[in-house]
Amino acid sequence: MNVQNNGTPDAPRLRGTLHATLGAVILALAALAPGLAHSDTIKIGVPVPLSGSSAAAGTDILNGAKLAAAKINAAGGVLGKQIELVPEDDACDAQTAVQAAQKLVDAGVVAVAGGYCSSAALPELSAFHRAGIPYVLDASTNPKLTEMGYNTVFRTIGRDDQQGPFAASFMKNALRARTAAVIDDNTTYSKGLAQNTVDALKKMGVDVVYAESITPGQMDYSPTLTKVASLKPDVIYYTGYFSEAGMLVKEARQLGLKMTIMGGDATNDPTLMKTAGPAADGMIITTSPLAQFLSGAHDYVDQYTKTYGQGPGPYSVYEYDAVGVTAKAIADAKSTKPAAIAAALHKINSYPGLTGTIGFDPKGDRSRAVYITIIVRGDEFEPYQRQDASGKWEMMK
Amino acid sequence: MSTFLQFVVEGLTIGSFYALVALGYTMVYGIIRLINFAHGDLFMVGAFVGWTALGTLAAARLPLALALVVAFAASMLATGALGVAIARVAYQPLLRAPRLSILITALGISLLLENGVLIAYGAGFRTYPHLLTQTGFDVLQVHITFAQVGIVAASFALMLGLYLFVHHTFIGTAMRALAIDQDAARLMGIDVERLIQLTFFIGSALAAVAGVMEGLFYTQINFFMGFVLGLRAFTAAVLGGIGNIPGAMVGGFLIGLLEAFGAGYVSSQWTDVFVFGVLIAVLVVKPTGLFGERVVERM
Repeated sequence: MNVQNNGTPDAPRLRGTLHATLGAVILALAALAPGLAHSDTIKIGVPVPLSGSSAAAGTDILNGAKLAAAKINAAGGVLGKQIELVPEDDACDAQTAVQAAQKLVDAGVVAVAGGYCSSAALPELSAFHRAGIPYVLDASTNPKLTEMGYNTVFRTIGRDDQQGPFAASFMKNALRARTAAVIDDNTTYSKGLAQNTVDALKKMGVDVVYAESITPGQMDYSPTLTKVASLKPDVIYYTGYFSEAGMLVKEARQLGLKMTIMGGDATNDPTLMKTAGPAADGMIITTSPLAQFLSGAHDYVDQYTKTYGQGPGPYSVYEYDAVGVTAKAIADAKSTKPAAIAAALHKINSYPGLTGTIGFDPKGDRSRAVYITIIVRGDEFEPYQRQDASGKWEMMK
Repeated sequence: MSTFLQFVVEGLTIGSFYALVALGYTMVYGIIRLINFAHGDLFMVGAFVGWTALGTLAAARLPLALALVVAFAASMLATGALGVAIARVAYQPLLRAPRLSILITALGISLLLENGVLIAYGAGFRTYPHLLTQTGFDVLQVHITFAQVGIVAASFALMLGLYLFVHHTFIGTAMRALAIDQDAARLMGIDVERLIQLTFFIGSALAAVAGVMEGLFYTQINFFMGFVLGLRAFTAAVLGGIGNIPGAMVGGFLIGLLEAFGAGYVSSQWTDVFVFGVLIAVLVVKPTGLFGERVVERM
């Protein structure tokens, strides 16, 4: 008695309010939960940049997802339900990405297939992992994404630490380069690829005479190029995005630099040729195969072009497979519980995707990743060289 | 040595753009003490107007030289008019309000312009036709393109013209009077509102010239291009002494040279650190800038 009287007089009332609030929340949740469980569609989140400088790439990816969902739904959907895509704009920006991921979690997605910029995908991944939702990445190639120790992350594309050694091997064995300059643009993706390339080059005995970052959004990179020219590398490898790549190659040729200029897979965009004009001719790009160079994807290219009035871009076909493999996992799991879907994704080892046979290693990376080189001829990309099974370089076609 | 001179050539080219845009910052500040944060975006709008004009004219099969002249003129007129409209609608009603209101309005206008162009033209990159010759000549092993010479010459000519206009014409004198004391200028019968609008017109038109030259020289434009350049031009204006026209020119070229030497001799990764380090250093050590000591007489 005494003790109770000594307590603050408001305590019981406060506790009462608290109970009421909690009760209301629980009621609200309870009201919401059946809505989720009995919804008529299976929601798959698609976080991609739909605004900002990467908006074009994000739109391509979303279109790829739409084609995949349309095909699955036309064939009766999954577990008797239709797939519903929930796109969300992450603007290629870490902060926006966190909000985008939260919106998708709140929208009740059971799995996520998408992503473009690694710097946005990383915070998204953490948010989805906390919610236990599997994330199948289609275009984000930073190794860190599958090195977080999460069992909910997968990707249908290769990773930079596979691309780096690939590019290095091309420079050393196909171009016979003895010295190289590697330039990145200070973003997570670009720095990662540059670092892996530099490591591989050094291991192969190629002298890396220049390895630094440029500031994206600047227009004039001639001072950097003048510096690089004075070091006389046999090849320049730029690991950033296409808009700056166009500037770099144009300004390099303007300065009279004659060496081979190469780009990473983010330079794989026709804006490169539009910006640089004839200067882009002969630029070589390391990339995951484009849809048009994949023997299994000709119908996809036709259908995409017919539906959207333009080419499918570099990554939409990987998103098509990401949505496809997610749907397959839902069907395998016979459940729309995120944890069950993640477990089913881990078991997939021979899904026939457009980009080749898809299986995941324990980290969630593709067990068989493929890279090729392409070359700019006029204002087109053409297939150039690839490694055969024994590691020898051969011309494609 | 030849590398050093090459950096000088590159720095002057980059600096020309900063200087032209810095003039707009400095003129507006000189007259109404406003840091017009939307100015970098007027540069961007100028580039887009020029791109549209060139596209239309090319479709009409106009001779190239004529098309270029018309594109420059159209961009200067349209961007200048936009600058005047912004001044009338957004800034002039706030001239007697606290400083902060007008500064925040300027930031708002900047966002409005960026996102307006984003909606109108989309997020992707637009490219100018490749009209400028890539050829040039070599002096002392330094490679200089004709386009670079043209850009530096054009910006010098414009700056000189502006300086002469402000210091040797009747309207220019009225502008300087306005910069010293707005109320006194009004009492002397100067039409303050018209003069403010004229200042915005000139500043915006100069930014438009820079925008179209940028498009022609670097070929790539997008809605966000005014941001980085605007900040650096602003730094140039502060370095030269904001409110001072020759100061803006010198500041622009100095920032351009700093960028080139920084990228060339230290690391291109540190460009922003150098440029904005200068901004901070100037603000701390000598807030009036290099040429800003004559506080009474601005511009």
